[in-house]
Amino acid sequence: MTAFEGCPGSKMVDFREKDTEEETAGKVKSQLAQWPIQMHLISPMAPYYQGADVLLTADCVAYAMGGFHPDYLKGKAIAIACPKLDESQDIYVEKIKSWMEDAQINTLTVLTMQVPCCAGLLQLARQAAESSTRKVPLKSIVVGIQGEILSEEWA
Amino acid sequence: MQEYLNQGIKGIIKQFPAVENILDDYNIGCAPCSIGSCLLKDIIDIHNLSPGDEEVLMGRIAGVIYPGQEVTIPRMERKAVAGAGQKGYSPPMKKLVDEHVLIKRLVALIPGIIDNLDVESEPGRGVIKDSVDFIRSYADKYHHAKEEDILLKYADENLDIIKTIYEDHENGRAHVRAILKGLADRDEAAVREHLKAYQELLTEHIKKEDEILYPWLDRQLSITQIGELFSEFNRKDEECGDTPEKYEALINRLEPEYKLKEAVK
Ligand SMILES: [Fe+2]
Ligand SMILES: [Fe+2]
Repeated sequence: MTAFEGCPGSKMVDFREKDTEEETAGKVKSQLAQWPIQMHLISPMAPYYQGADVLLTADCVAYAMGGFHPDYLKGKAIAIACPKLDESQDIYVEKIKSWMEDAQINTLTVLTMQVPCCAGLLQLARQAAESSTRKVPLKSIVVGIQGEILSEEWA
Repeated sequence: MQEYLNQGIKGIIKQFPAVENILDDYNIGCAPCSIGSCLLKDIIDIHNLSPGDEEVLMGRIAGVIYPGQEVTIPRMERKAVAGAGQKGYSPPMKKLVDEHVLIKRLVALIPGIIDNLDVESEPGRGVIKDSVDFIRSYADKYHHAKEEDILLKYADENLDIIKTIYEDHENGRAHVRAILKGLADRDEAAVREHLKAYQELLTEHIKKEDEILYPWLDRQLSITQIGELFSEFNRKDEECGDTPEKYEALINRLEPEYKLKEAVK
C-alpha cells in the first residue's frame, strides 16, 4: 500500500527524460481567433461565440498538449478556467447557460486534466446544461499530464 | 486478393460459402442483408474492425479463396477515423436510437396482430389502420424523414450502405401500400404476408442502423456536423409537435391486447 501523498492535482511528477525530439519543423501557427479568453473576462454574447463550437478548457490543458492549437483550438471559440482555484464559479454556470440559450452555440467541448479536481469544470458545464432550456451536444475530453488523450465521450 | 477486394460481398459469399461463417464470427451478418452489395474492402471500415481482427479475418478469407497459397493482403484504407476510440452514440444518433425503441415496440406487436387478424369486422380493420397510421406518421414521417432529409445528407449517397438504407425505407413503404390494398380488398392473406414482411424488414433495418450505420457515421462526422444534426433534429421535432406522445399512447393502448407472452410464442 502506498502512503497518502496529498492532493493528486499538485503531486510532483518529473518526466524530463521523455523523448523530446522535435516533431514539427518550423513555426506552429496560433489558432486563437478571439480575446479575451478567461472565463471571468469573456462575454458569452461576444460575436465569436454565436453558433460556434466552443471549447471550455482547464487552464493547464494547453500546456500539457503539444498539438492543442491545430488539433483542438482550430475553428473553435474558447474560454479557459481553473475549477480548483478560480473564485465565484456560479458566474461560470450562468455564462455557460447563456452560451447555450443566447449565443446558440453549436456544441460545447470540455477539456480537463486527469487530476480529480479538474472534473469540477465538467460539473459546471453539466449544471448549466441541465438548467438551460436549449440543449447542445456536450463532449468531455480528459487529458493526461503528458498531453495524451485519456478519454473522449459525450457527456 | 486485390480483385476480390473490389467485389461485392454477396457475390463472394455465393462463390465461397465458407466466407459467410467467417464473417459471422465477427458479427458481420452480410447474408441476411437485403442488398449486400458492399465491397469486401469496405466491410473492414464499416464494421470498424481492429487492425488485429482485420488481419485475422482477411487471412481466413484469403485461405478460403486461395487454399494453400501464400497471399499478400493490403491493409484496408479507412475513411472513418475521426473520433475513433470515442465511446457511445453522439447525442443526435442517440436520439434516433431512442426513437427506434417505440418502432420496435410496434414491430413486436405484429405477430399478435397477425394471430388475431380479422379484415371483415370494423374493429379488426381498425387495429391494422392504427398500425399503418403509426408506421406512416411516426416511423416514416417523423423518424425516417429525419434520416432521409437530414442525416443521410451528411453521407456519400453513392455508398452501398446508404443505398441499402434508402431501399429498406422504400420497401417498407411498399409493404404498407400492400397492407392497405389487402385491407380494401378484404384479402387477409395479403395483409398477413405484408405485415410479416414489414416486421422482418424493420427488425433487420433497425439492427443495421443501431449497430452499423450510426456508429460508422459517428466516426466520420466532425463535431460541427454533430452539432448541426442535433439542432436540425430538434427543429424537426418542434415541427412535429406532439407526434411522439400521441404514438406512444397508441402503443400503450395496443400492447395489453396484442403483446404475445414470451411463454405462448
Ligand atoms: Fe431507417
Ligand atoms: Fe432508423
